[in-house]
Amino acid sequence: MKDVIPIQTNNTETIAVSKNSKNIYQQAIDTFSNFCRARSLFVLHYCTGCGAIELPPAMTSRFDMERLGIQPMVTPRQADILLITGYVSIKTLKRVILTYEQMQGPKYVIGICSCTVNGGMYWQSYATAKVLSEYLPVDMYIAGCMPRPEAVLTGLQQLMKKIEKGEANSWENYFKRYDYYLGNQQHLFGDTWHTPTDILEEARHYHLYGAESTGNNTARLIKYTVEHDLTKLDAPLREKDSMTKRGKK
Amino acid sequence: MSVLDLDHVFFLLIVNIGIAVLWGNRPFVGKILTLLYILEGLSILTSYHVLLSGAVLSSSLTFTVMQQTVQWQLGVSGGFFALITFMAAGLATWFSSGVWARSYAPIRLLHSYMALNVAAMLLLLASNDFLGLFIAWELVSLVSFLIIAINGGRSAKAAYSYILYAFLGAMAILLALIIIWNATNSFSYVEVRHHWSTMSVNRQLIVVLLLITGFGIKMAILPFHRWQAPAYAYVPAPVAAFLGAISSRMGLFALFIVLLQVVGIDVIQTLWLPFEIINMQTFLLWLAALTLIIPTFIALRQTDARLLLAWHGIGQGGFMLLGILSANALGTAGGIMHVFNHASYQAALFFAVFSVSYRTGTADLDRLGGLVTRMPISFTVMLVGIIGLAGLPPMNGFVSKWLIYKALLDEGMPLLFLAAVIGTLGTILSVYKLIHNTFLGQLRLEHENIKEVPWSMSIPMMILASIVFITGYFPGLLLESIAAMQSTLGISVVDYHLGGVNTGKGNLNMIVVVSTMLMAIGMGALIFFVLGNPRKQVTQWDNYAGGHFLTSDMRYQYSHNFYPGLMRVISPLYRNTIFWLESAIVSTVQFMAHISYALFMQANYLLYLILLVVISLLWVLAV
Repeated sequence: MKDVIPIQTNNTETIAVSKNSKNIYQQAIDTFSNFCRARSLFVLHYCTGCGAIELPPAMTSRFDMERLGIQPMVTPRQADILLITGYVSIKTLKRVILTYEQMQGPKYVIGICSCTVNGGMYWQSYATAKVLSEYLPVDMYIAGCMPRPEAVLTGLQQLMKKIEKGEANSWENYFKRYDYYLGNQQHLFGDTWHTPTDILEEARHYHLYGAESTGNNTARLIKYTVEHDLTKLDAPLREKDSMTKRGKK
Repeated sequence: MSVLDLDHVFFLLIVNIGIAVLWGNRPFVGKILTLLYILEGLSILTSYHVLLSGAVLSSSLTFTVMQQTVQWQLGVSGGFFALITFMAAGLATWFSSGVWARSYAPIRLLHSYMALNVAAMLLLLASNDFLGLFIAWELVSLVSFLIIAINGGRSAKAAYSYILYAFLGAMAILLALIIIWNATNSFSYVEVRHHWSTMSVNRQLIVVLLLITGFGIKMAILPFHRWQAPAYAYVPAPVAAFLGAISSRMGLFALFIVLLQVVGIDVIQTLWLPFEIINMQTFLLWLAALTLIIPTFIALRQTDARLLLAWHGIGQGGFMLLGILSANALGTAGGIMHVFNHASYQAALFFAVFSVSYRTGTADLDRLGGLVTRMPISFTVMLVGIIGLAGLPPMNGFVSKWLIYKALLDEGMPLLFLAAVIGTLGTILSVYKLIHNTFLGQLRLEHENIKEVPWSMSIPMMILASIVFITGYFPGLLLESIAAMQSTLGISVVDYHLGGVNTGKGNLNMIVVVSTMLMAIGMGALIFFVLGNPRKQVTQWDNYAGGHFLTSDMRYQYSHNFYPGLMRVISPLYRNTIFWLESAIVSTVQFMAHISYALFMQANYLLYLILLVVISLLWVLAV
């Protein structure tokens, strides 16, 4: 790493969505779709660490989260919730980000266990990403070491309430404040960090492109992609070597 | 009486052969031949209303032998098959007329053999008695051998085994004709039918079995099914489409004429096999059902797309036979309709597969994948074709299969119905494998830059695909001539309308079915596109593999070893016994052929002298 990219930790405020811009019909449709959305949630569980073992009882007959309309899904494209169930090593975080970026909005992230909140017992580890919400917008943490299935279900129910009220909008932050998240990712992975997904183009697609979407960090990414000509759809084919290096890092 | 008579068509066919033989190498000749085939098809189509009314198109061509006058007349059955023949030959020649011809050196041979095949087939379809049928049958066998052997190598070997089977079949037919001649002193269909009962029951049985062997070999019914798939698969693209579409249906046509017109289904029903175990109709129906199931599941095992399609051709032949022998108005209609339907989608499928192999250089299903973005027209044609082959609405295969299912249920044959459904299940599984391994999944690196085939190849494919759809939407177009056929043969006639059929218990109206489907799809498309089209295209490496970063040198999707669970169950059943037997016979005959060739070409007079001496000595000793 040539120059160290500083980490930023000021992600406490969310950018509020002004409801005034919507007329009454749009609000009615939003209310209805939020009602439906909260009752049909597909979970992609990225099982890291020890919290994963709490999910089988939560899913199966004892606690049965399917009665809430929540069930597992095998691919990110069809999933609504990304469940991170324990400490996230730096190597794993790359995969988590790739998976998160492949999900379609609206998407929600739940961090289970203390390790996702602040590193937990891995606080002193050099290879662990401590605070998950510095790299991804996290909707909800379920703290505990480990939280019992009751706690997991309570957390999911709270998320459902949030979705129904239309408050679970932190996924929009990833597009609105992409520069911030990208900077923190680059702090860990270096300035050649990139994924197959073009987030800025997706931000325009979702109409979420704003002033904080771009900045120094995205300029660094764009410089890298232009230098290596990764803007085309068939870029991985031509940039075979760089892709291989990145994949194996 | 008729607008045109058969002489015009024969004349056009001779012109066709002449042009192909004399100028077959010229670049424009393919287009002229295509036009000629279309003209021949149109000349039959313009006088088709005459055929529908029950009249025939006669030819002035005639000769007399043994007080039997052989002449050629095209009835409605022959006209229907002739139209399919011209459709297949015309579109196949069109496919080969443009860019494709430049990549194929012996194009003159191909055009000549194709023209000869069409002419021989028309002679067969227009034959009016057993003698004409037999002569035309032998011609068809000979020219089929020529066109199968055109590529040399594997296809020549397949042609060898075909000619052996065809020889066996011809001998069987000849024997049957001798028995018929001895009993009835006539070769005319009407006379034979009239005097049929003068034969003893055992003779009737033998004649029917011999005829089924002879004609069944051409359509590869069990246990003579081995020759066809390699023979039809390893030939050039237009030949494969032509052969797969119509060639083996000549056997079905002959069986159809013999069993329904000459022998009569009532005789078949009352004829019992030895020890009265099973009557002839049930025996043949089960033979047809096995011909459907076994080749279909062999097709499921194939990894070469061409072989897969060729095996399905055999299986679908069993389907047709199943319908025709069900002795039911719906069943015979479905069986005959399936001939047309199979010809249309099979030719389309062969074109699509050969388009892929033209661009990629392989038809191996383990070495393809993801071509849908590169060859969208071929993909669409194959999609339409496999929906037809699997027998699903809205394509035409659904209608004929529905009619056959209905007939089997109406006639009280639930086990045969079950067999037909099992056959269809195998078809659906293997056509899914075909389209998935070719067009879906991951695009290979080496296929990154390939393009769609040129228009000269894609237009015939699209025409066939639209025929598959239109005759599925309006099956009445085909049912009209099928009903005329049934009334000519004097069997019960199907009650049809433009959209389908009326039966006593429930109707089929494809216009309603397909319109409903299209409306549902249209509404989905409306919601999707008018309300925002939230589609986003990503690269195939932006894919989920448990969080792994995919690179272009990484295979993340394998299309090898499809359906392993099913294969584990059924593969002990494939023991290749018939294959061993057949290859032994083929090798023996090839060995004999080499010996006679060596003798014939041997310029050494001494050898002949020794042989002469030995033979005369033997003769002297014997006397």
